[in-house]
Amino acid sequence: MNWYRNPSAIEQLAAAYVAGTLQGRARRRFEAVMQRQPALVAAVNDWTARLAPLHHALPAQAPSTALWSRITKATDSAPRVAAPSWWQRLLAPVPAGALALGLMVGALVPTLWQAHVAYQKDMELPDSYVGVLATAQGQPGLIISSLRRGKVVDIKQVTPVPVPPGQTLYLWRIDKEGAVAALGPLPNGKWTHLTLSETAEQVFFPAVELAVSLEPVGAQPGAPTQPFVYRGLCGKLWR
Amino acid sequence: MDDRDEVSQLLARIALRDARAFESLYRMVASRLMAVASRVTQDRAMAEDVLQEVFVTVWNQTATAAPGQNLTLAWLCVVTRHRAIDLLRKRKPDVPLHWQDENGDEQSHDIQDESGSPMEQLLAHEDGAQLGHCMEALEPEPRRALLLAFYDGLTHPEIALRMQRPLGTVKAWTRRSLIRLKGCMEALA
Repeated sequence: MNWYRNPSAIEQLAAAYVAGTLQGRARRRFEAVMQRQPALVAAVNDWTARLAPLHHALPAQAPSTALWSRITKATDSAPRVAAPSWWQRLLAPVPAGALALGLMVGALVPTLWQAHVAYQKDMELPDSYVGVLATAQGQPGLIISSLRRGKVVDIKQVTPVPVPPGQTLYLWRIDKEGAVAALGPLPNGKWTHLTLSETAEQVFFPAVELAVSLEPVGAQPGAPTQPFVYRGLCGKLWR
Repeated sequence: MDDRDEVSQLLARIALRDARAFESLYRMVASRLMAVASRVTQDRAMAEDVLQEVFVTVWNQTATAAPGQNLTLAWLCVVTRHRAIDLLRKRKPDVPLHWQDENGDEQSHDIQDESGSPMEQLLAHEDGAQLGHCMEALEPEPRRALLLAFYDGLTHPEIALRMQRPLGTVKAWTRRSLIRLKGCMEALA
């Protein structure tokens, strides 16, 4: 039996991980397994909270004033007066992956569609919204589509992410100003559907991007409480 | 809003490349993370290198959080401590635990023992009182071994050498101490 199926081993290793006695390659192996084992994550969360006061017991030490300049230089993250332009947002790593995928889909769909039209001239592509979302690692993650005036969203999960017990995938809309609005919990599965309370046009019109985070089941968060597990472009598929 | 909510929300905004959220996070947690990194490295310049690495990974979304992991200040402290240990071992793989300085005086890598300020402060802090009480309930030597691992980033063999005790004993001390801590804190909850 793998050690990560043994609750006692999970408890001991999670404790050692947080306490600092799990080091080097053993720690890196543990972190790799943690990426796909929610039980380990839960145990690490418990131990992190349990031992947190030990960190707080250390007297705070201000770093030198030069450190923040070094960090902003290393990350090119100095705040700008103006909001980042659309192309800067697109050049961020994850959107860039999604953009590449989106461009591929964008190039492929019309070509295939024209071939299809040539074959069936009496058919037309219905007006739709399409979202192509990448995982945090830049892999194709989710494809989301809905008819322009429909209320059902079809979701194809290309690359699944682990969803810990008590949590759910949660869909967010990001507008051109970068403001995030909650759209609601997403079912977890390879091919699922979400019913909207308004038409897709009303819901997705402001969106330039869609994103998905993990949130507690039943919560109605005003803003994402965790980093996005999927993120990518959203666009309308009509003239 | 507690630390957990605030840090989580700032990290979520940072995922959207919100530079102001990044700066807010830095202002909020840098001095706490600096304390953690300085304690392990015993060197301010190296501790600042650790902080730079931590914040760059946070901005670039390459910090090793697993899906579902609570992204709190405590999580950032754990990440910082791990980075500090890694950097210390990379830069000073042969750093002696004990040495004699030019005057012939005995010196050691880390300076505080269990009676040092962190334990006292832990007991004084309201949110750490439970943990402090349970730490006090541990036997002195196992407690010291655990604190050497937690605060100073020492490995089991280094703790064994420091405390002049067999490696197996030190491993058993830290493992059992953690189990007892958990039991004690659950009983107090």
